[in-house]
Amino acid sequence: MKLRSSGREAEKIEPQMAPMIDVVFQLLIFFMLTLNIVEPEGDFNVNMPITDDSTPSDELPMFDIKVRLVANEDGSLNTIRLGQVNLGNGPNVFAGLNNEILKIIGRPGNPITKDMEVEIEADYNLHFEYTLKAVSACTGRLDSSGKHIIRYIEKIKFAPPVGGPAAGS
Amino acid sequence: MRIKSQKAAVAEIDMTPMIDIVFQLIAFFMVITNFEQIQADERVKLPSDSLAKPPETKAADELVLNIGFERNQEGEITDPQAYVFYTGEKIPVLKFGPKLEQEARIYKQKNQDPNDVPVKLRSDAQVDTGLIQDLIKLAQENGFTKFSFVATQKTQ
Repeated sequence: MKLRSSGREAEKIEPQMAPMIDVVFQLLIFFMLTLNIVEPEGDFNVNMPITDDSTPSDELPMFDIKVRLVANEDGSLNTIRLGQVNLGNGPNVFAGLNNEILKIIGRPGNPITKDMEVEIEADYNLHFEYTLKAVSACTGRLDSSGKHIIRYIEKIKFAPPVGGPAAGS
Repeated sequence: MRIKSQKAAVAEIDMTPMIDIVFQLIAFFMVITNFEQIQADERVKLPSDSLAKPPETKAADELVLNIGFERNQEGEITDPQAYVFYTGEKIPVLKFGPKLEQEARIYKQKNQDPNDVPVKLRSDAQVDTGLIQDLIKLAQENGFTKFSFVATQKTQ
């Protein structure tokens, strides 16, 4: 069968670029706002009293809580002691420390927490991540929504490290 | 004379290079704004914690110290010595005192008390706690009194 040519020139279909560009920009802006190239960082404020070696301060005020972090030789955590209580070094040891702190303060926001201070005494070679976790466990916990921090104790201070070379040597 | 009617030629702008340039600009600003917010050093592998929230108000002036190790491309520590990465130099932590003295002097020249300048310690998770405390002691000797530890925000 012979096909008759229509006599019309083939129409050139040109895609519309403008809506495509609009959509691409919308997507780009959406991903810009949601994506974090650099992970967000947060701060833990710490109180470092200037230690005077001539006057050793072995007497702690009544409301102070002493947390002792003992390290293994490789710098990992050996055990945590809260006062005289040994909390061990299991996977949930920092959750345990957090619970113990809550038991001591009674309830978050208790007025007595304003006068309380946690003193952290760590071994010199303990890896910093464990110290930071201890600071976090004493500071508080996240609420059920995971957005707000329920503060336990605001004031965290550090005792001079146990062992290790002296600064400047 | 008869004039042939001509169809008006429609000038079409080639959009592709423009879009390319816009994408390049957006990508560039995305990257620099993210890195500008924190004076990060990629060698420092920060510890992470769920309570680490970005501060609501940012201090006008702060001294950020990056403490970490030399690492290879796989992220393994190649030198057990911890350094402070400071303006392109790497200085052993215990020898950072003179630089802190210099920083304190600069703040004083700007009529700022080092006492009011918070020191943000961006320390690698594997640095010895004692070294961080020694660094804090060196900073205290030069008049800095406010300290904070930096951690990445752990998402649950």
